[in-house]
Amino acid sequence: MSNDRTPQPKSGLSRREFLTRGAAAAGGLAAAPYLLGGSPAWAAVDEGAKVGGKVDVLNWTFYIDKKSKKDFPKQTGIKLKYSETLDDNNTFFAKYQEQFANDDHIGFDIVTPTTWMAARLIELGYVQPMPFDLMENRGNLRAELENPAWDPTGEYTVPWQTGYTGIAYNIEATGREITSVEDLFDPKFEGRVGWLLEMRDSMTLALLSTGMTREEIAAGVTFNDAKPAFDRLEKAAQGGQIRRFTGNSYVSDLLSGDFALNVAWSGDVAQLTLEEPNLRFVVPDEGGHGFWADVMCMVSTSKRDKQVAAWLDYFYDPVNAARVAGYTSYISPVADIEDELAAIDPDAAENTILFPEQDVLDRLVQFPLLDPDDEERFDERYAEITGG
Amino acid sequence: MAGAADTAPKRGRFAPYGLLSPGIIWLILFFLVPVAILLRASLSSQPERFVPDDLRFKWKWSNFSNALNRFGPQFQDAMRNALIAAVVVAVIIAAVVVLRRGLWHSTRARRLLIGALVAGFFGAYIITSTVDGWGDHFQRSFLYAGIATLLCIAIGYPLAYVIAFRGGAYKNLLLGLVVVPFFTTYLIRTIAWKTILFDNGPVVDILQSIGVLGDSGRLLATPGAVIGGLAYNFLPFMVLPIYVSLEKIDVNLVDAARDLYSSPARAFRKVVLPLSLPGIFAGTLLTFIPASGDFINAELLGSPTTSMIGNVVQNQFLVQLDYPTAAALSFVLMAIITIAVLIYAKALGTEDLTG
Repeated sequence: MSNDRTPQPKSGLSRREFLTRGAAAAGGLAAAPYLLGGSPAWAAVDEGAKVGGKVDVLNWTFYIDKKSKKDFPKQTGIKLKYSETLDDNNTFFAKYQEQFANDDHIGFDIVTPTTWMAARLIELGYVQPMPFDLMENRGNLRAELENPAWDPTGEYTVPWQTGYTGIAYNIEATGREITSVEDLFDPKFEGRVGWLLEMRDSMTLALLSTGMTREEIAAGVTFNDAKPAFDRLEKAAQGGQIRRFTGNSYVSDLLSGDFALNVAWSGDVAQLTLEEPNLRFVVPDEGGHGFWADVMCMVSTSKRDKQVAAWLDYFYDPVNAARVAGYTSYISPVADIEDELAAIDPDAAENTILFPEQDVLDRLVQFPLLDPDDEERFDERYAEITGG
Repeated sequence: MAGAADTAPKRGRFAPYGLLSPGIIWLILFFLVPVAILLRASLSSQPERFVPDDLRFKWKWSNFSNALNRFGPQFQDAMRNALIAAVVVAVIIAAVVVLRRGLWHSTRARRLLIGALVAGFFGAYIITSTVDGWGDHFQRSFLYAGIATLLCIAIGYPLAYVIAFRGGAYKNLLLGLVVVPFFTTYLIRTIAWKTILFDNGPVVDILQSIGVLGDSGRLLATPGAVIGGLAYNFLPFMVLPIYVSLEKIDVNLVDAARDLYSSPARAFRKVVLPLSLPGIFAGTLLTFIPASGDFINAELLGSPTTSMIGNVVQNQFLVQLDYPTAAALSFVLMAIITIAVLIYAKALGTEDLTG
């Protein structure tokens, strides 16, 4: 999902520290009612069922809590090598493409790119179907994530975290609540608007701003359909309305006030709002982009079916899933974890960014998969506008 | 015995090659081979997107023209006008020289004429580009790198001068201070600029209150910030060579000029400046060349309208995975810089460097 998923440079706090601080500030909000959550499904795996072996996982930074990293090997007897060096989908692809193409093992069993990149890996045959026959907790996947556009058969990917894209703003800088994508083009905010480098996030909002409806977008977008949106975005970029296109680094621009408002990812802002009451996050009236997801894929050269299945099972256990979601502030792909999360962090469980209302969910639209020729034109045009 | 006598001079003859070999092997491995691979990529076609290891070598020269047309259409116009202007000036000079032969033999007149040629070329380039609003990546790269280089000379020369001639016992300390910021990485230093210049920060506040910047004015995300960042990041590469060339100057020469009734300014112009030209020359190369290919400053301190050719190359290599275009762009940049450096070397005269 992100271009550079660096820790927030401004404050230097990790996701976890953000949350613990927020939780402490909230004091002892009554957590008791939530402690009655169901017993963890993971408990079903007894000592004798340890899997053993090794598993190598590549993921984004600050995307897993410390406890899971220690607990997973203990529970399963699997030696875990967990690397956090995935920081950009395109750079990841550029780095491993040659090994993938030559059928050389890239050193990881599981990689966790964003959905559109996963779709490309599937298309090119670089990943293999998941060992679902060995996985017990598959049923915990949220219903709306089954058979998604990026993986129509649902065989190849299992979501790690999901989120959605809207507008983050600093109420002090904007002087008013933000409700519409038109606000991104308001001359009042000239030079203080940020957009995302991630084409699909920005383009969804740009398309909505040119009058395309969510239904039309979901049904498929051609390069011709997108022309007005590209033109509008280009005009805003050339005319100085847009200050910068960024990855995760928008967080520091937002905190320093260089951005009054920007296109943003839900999880980052969910953390920030705990610290900065002036920061808000909204899915505009016209709509927002979601759910997107970072999804786990099993590379085609991996032979560790059992270990991969154990990894999936572990993180599709509601208790473990709640712990990870509590740490990342993104939305867990595992269904019904509110109670478990509330037990860990009551504040997070009340956060409407983590648990959006139905009318917000209704406004989300997934950016459709693009025809390969069109995708090239989209990428090139977008690079032209962002200044690449 | 005779054989041994024969081999001794032979061994001597090969010794230089032995000493050169680490350098040569290094150059072959890490410069020539990559350049050859890049050249091959720049002349290939890539049948399938996202699969850059499957390049078909086809002598595809159109990659170069396509790359230049996409990212430097206005740059080409500006270059064309500059060349036309240069040719016109050259013809006029030729006519003047033919009419009054004596002129060419007076050093001063010759300098003036060459100056007119250079001024005609750059004047036409800058005027055309300004009319176009510095609209494309190539134009911007050379403009930003050029201004940053001039800034580096303006800031670096006096600095080097003071360290070399007035530094006294503190010479090493002062030189150390020039270098110390560069113990931190390039990236961190550039990000630090963001923290200093941010919109609600003290620097912008002060500039706004004294009226240099308008109320809604800002420093970040402007060409000024990019140029400033470039100048800052490459300053030591200007200061150190100038310092070395100034350091070598025999102070007695300046004293001699003063004894012969030359004013301090004239002594500087006639003695110090010419002797320090090799330093300026080396510093300019070390600053201008990397600055025109830089992408970090434009990415962090600039906006979409200030991106440079380095940003495009980076994007083509790492995001679009279009290796032929990226390689062609790199070669076009390399070729332009090589030509510029050759002309520059000719104009400034490198006898001091080579001889």
